[in-house]
Amino acid sequence: MRTSGRTRKAAVIAVAGLATCATLITGCSSSDDNGSKGSDGKSSSSEQITLHIGDFNEFGYNDKTGAKLFSEYEALHPNIKIVEDNVTDGQQYWDSLKLHLQQGSGLDDIQAIEVGYIAEAIQPQLASKFVDFKSIKGFSADDWVSYKEKQATTADGQVIGVGTDIGPTAICYRTDFFQQAGLPTDPQQVAALWNGDWAKFVQVGEQFKAKAPSGVAFTDSAGGLFNAVLSSQPTQFSDQTGKLVYDSSPGVKTAWDLSAKAVKEGLTAKLQQFDSNNTWSAAFKTGKFATVACPSWMTGLVSTNSGPANKGKWDIAQPPQAGNWGGSFLAVTKASKHQAEAAALAQWLTAAAQEVKIFQKFGNIPSNKGGLSDPAVQNTTNDYFGPAGKPAPTGKIFATTAQSIQPAPIGPDDGTVKDIITKNGLLDMEQRGTSSEKAWSNVKAQVKDKLGE
Amino acid sequence: MAQLTEPVRPAGPRHSSLPLKQGRRRLRAGGAGKQHNGGPIAYAFIILATLVSLFPLYWTVVAASHTDTDIVTPPTPLLPGSHLIDNLKIVWTQVDMTTALINSTIVAGCVAFSTVLFATLAGFAFAKLEFRGRNALLTVVVATMTVPPQLTVIPLYQIITKAGWVGHLQSVILPSLVAAFGVFFMRQFLAEALPIELVEAARVDGAHSLRIIWHVVFPVARPAMAVLGMLVFVQSWNDFFWPFIALSQQNPTVQVALAGVGAGNHSIDHAVVVCAALVSTLPLLLVFAVLGRQIVSGITAGAVKS
Amino acid sequence: MATSVRATSDGSPPSSRPAPSTSRRGDPGAPGNWRAKLYRLDTKASPYAYIAPFFLVFAAFGLFPLIYTGWLSLHHVELGESGSGSWVGFDNYTNLWDNQFFWKALRNTFTLGVISTVPQLMMALGLAHLLNYKLRARGFFRVAILAPYATSIAAAALVFVQLFNPDYGMINQLLGHFGVDGIRWDSSKWPAQIAISSIVTWRWTGYNALIYLAAMQAVPSDLYEAAALDGASRWRQFISVTIPSIRPTIFFTIIVSTIGATQLFGEPLIYGGGVGPTGGTDHQYQTLSLYMYDKGWQVGQLGQASAVAWVMLLILLLIGAVQLLVIRRSRRKLGS
Repeated sequence: MRTSGRTRKAAVIAVAGLATCATLITGCSSSDDNGSKGSDGKSSSSEQITLHIGDFNEFGYNDKTGAKLFSEYEALHPNIKIVEDNVTDGQQYWDSLKLHLQQGSGLDDIQAIEVGYIAEAIQPQLASKFVDFKSIKGFSADDWVSYKEKQATTADGQVIGVGTDIGPTAICYRTDFFQQAGLPTDPQQVAALWNGDWAKFVQVGEQFKAKAPSGVAFTDSAGGLFNAVLSSQPTQFSDQTGKLVYDSSPGVKTAWDLSAKAVKEGLTAKLQQFDSNNTWSAAFKTGKFATVACPSWMTGLVSTNSGPANKGKWDIAQPPQAGNWGGSFLAVTKASKHQAEAAALAQWLTAAAQEVKIFQKFGNIPSNKGGLSDPAVQNTTNDYFGPAGKPAPTGKIFATTAQSIQPAPIGPDDGTVKDIITKNGLLDMEQRGTSSEKAWSNVKAQVKDKLGE
Repeated sequence: MAQLTEPVRPAGPRHSSLPLKQGRRRLRAGGAGKQHNGGPIAYAFIILATLVSLFPLYWTVVAASHTDTDIVTPPTPLLPGSHLIDNLKIVWTQVDMTTALINSTIVAGCVAFSTVLFATLAGFAFAKLEFRGRNALLTVVVATMTVPPQLTVIPLYQIITKAGWVGHLQSVILPSLVAAFGVFFMRQFLAEALPIELVEAARVDGAHSLRIIWHVVFPVARPAMAVLGMLVFVQSWNDFFWPFIALSQQNPTVQVALAGVGAGNHSIDHAVVVCAALVSTLPLLLVFAVLGRQIVSGITAGAVKS
Repeated sequence: MATSVRATSDGSPPSSRPAPSTSRRGDPGAPGNWRAKLYRLDTKASPYAYIAPFFLVFAAFGLFPLIYTGWLSLHHVELGESGSGSWVGFDNYTNLWDNQFFWKALRNTFTLGVISTVPQLMMALGLAHLLNYKLRARGFFRVAILAPYATSIAAAALVFVQLFNPDYGMINQLLGHFGVDGIRWDSSKWPAQIAISSIVTWRWTGYNALIYLAAMQAVPSDLYEAAALDGASRWRQFISVTIPSIRPTIFFTIIVSTIGATQLFGEPLIYGGGVGPTGGTDHQYQTLSLYMYDKGWQVGQLGQASAVAWVMLLILLLIGAVQLLVIRRSRRKLGS
């Protein structure tokens, strides 16, 4: 029996393939520096250590596209090397982080936590995985605006995160559309139209609609309006103990009723904010709406999405009532082998000087009081907004708003309820003409299904 | 291998309506030269199917070479633009794409190789060998395919945590070394494609079973092995959920790296995302080109000659 | 489970089964006692050696998740919780019974499964038949039809979402010429399900066609020659030679597609854009997998999510049994 060349070749390939895979697998496990984060045990001040920081989207720290804070810190501390572990999508980031925390593996020394998840993170089972900043030298919760560190404080008083930025919310509006609809265009006068009451904002919408340019809605989405209104309310989804009270909360009722009214009267462009299909971002450029509730971090998005052709057409006015939308925290994991060094880095990154640098690069408003009152922040203007030669004083607008934000209690289920209300309740009304009552009962049924209450 | 070409006992005629030539049937498959030529209608359908199949890939090239605002604003561009290099630069700045490509090649290569090999062995055993518990075991194989993958990640993560593999490539390679899908696929293929006469003839000849595998099974299974190899390679290459949980940006596969691409200031740069996706797809086309050529009638090539 | 045993053995050609047993009993009249022993050992043990790798890896990485999921489904467990949760018996299952969202997801999974799988397999069969012809640039075509499977789903989603955009999408523009206006592909139930199933069909037709093609390559050409001598048309040859010859492979694709349809996840998730795993504002296209993911990952109710997973598994076994019955009945009819 003659063995044909082909089969012998096949045999050689098979054996070689198996051997290669086996070598590669074992080879990968021996090169140990990449996977196991925060290497071996002891740490003296002179020892070379690597700190891993896990975050999502753009925190603006890195050396390539950010404010080069990592290399600055590495220059100050020659024994420390910083590696960033970045994921674009905040939801994906949090989903896997929860599993990593539960199992105590795959964790970075520092993990960023978005404000939407912080109430979940301070629940006992997750909070126990983080270092308490109160035990860290030089930490003082008073360095941040009052509500910021309160959100990261557990029921028994531990502080698990230091605040990065906040998202004081103003109103971005199209001066050209306002003019066509016979409304004022000056930010002061515009703010005066709705000062103090979101109901007035909806009334301005009705005026706008009466004389609106064709195909232009007053505001982008009911969801965006709901978020903006709710963020200014003293009671939101949960009470002081973190228990869900959305069904009886006056704040939720106000926000729902106003958004539902806006939908019913056709004041919204029926879009979904941040949809992955780009419909929302495309609508900026094609001018489908005249206003959008604008947290400080959204100004960059408005200018990018609208494009250079629309420069000078947007302006920013004070909102009816001040609210906060967004912002994050840095937390140190107990799984870290270098907790002290990691905490020091987190504190440095969130200190006034560094938060100002991030603001100058990305427009993220500092949550650190010193940063907020820094002249560099206060005097910043944005020349994409406002008429030519008169750039909008964004620093002043957002810092002022930030000062008057009232803290509201938050709970672990807020994010779930918010998603159901905006994505299933209000969007369903916008897209499918569901009545307000039916939409609200749908919301209640879904909350019950997901949270059992 | 001369014995294998001798006339073997024909199996009972299966398609009784058709008179069958006895003897050498089965030993020549429908390879090139024996098939019908495609008419214009066949060409028309195939070209249409090809265009529909390739359009999104083409559009990936278009989108990858424009800016974000260009591609999300109607009218959508239909021709490639000039931003490809810029977008590529951003991709390589944001993530370690080189490592990712190497890692994915290792992972998908090992997974595809071992899956094909073990699936062919097991498929052969299930299709042509008799042993106790065969049917029950085959049922178990098929039943394992029904477990929804989104849920198994939690227990799987517990396992790799205990084993200390978090962040290492073996955490994504080892659980995928075999696939129920592959075993079932090869079993179904060999059940029909491998004439039992060939196996028996080799047996009579005194060949031990490994020899039978080399000389009889592999040649017959070649087109199916190539197809399975392509499918598994792509599947492993495009696998996201589990690698994302098990690995990190320090040692990513391509899909994990893609999750770290495109972050702008609180928004996503879709042009950069699509550009990274394009980079991640190109190696697959290379694999297709190599393995695609193997999808020819296997039996004529191996067993008959000599 | 016994059902699909018969299913798979039924998938094999009748001719192949009696053969091995006769050969085993009759053959090994080889000289030398030790050789005979070795031979017998080889015949007896080698099948187990061949299937061992699968079962070893499966035992290590598949069995535990399967059992663990079953155990979770009888408990109240939350993701992120360190403890093992509390025993709730079959509550997670009985709660599903009167849960409107579960039933909606079940119905959606069924309708989406049917409208995406049936045309897909038919088209794949036809395409494979065409690709089996002698063609110029055959290699290119064969590889090109697998391109959708390799194309990044994110890029593909961008294309499809633009095609189906209700306001400026190409499909609505085209339909406008025929007097059909303003179909809400994004929010109306059936249009959205059709749009999603077209993505599924686009992605998986080439995949199945290639599987069929591999099987067609192994069909002996003598069968075609004989049929041609018999005066059978190409169509007739396709029906009476090709289809019966690749029957096990067709059976395979039906099983795999059914499983795939039951676990349909990525396409509706991505089509929904930012709506996430709720599958449309009113759950118009939320599948069981999305519902499970929503429960398990977004809300962290692992016990309830596991119950959904096990229900999916049981449904699949039920479908498998039904498919088997249908196939056996049709086979019997053909045989008689």
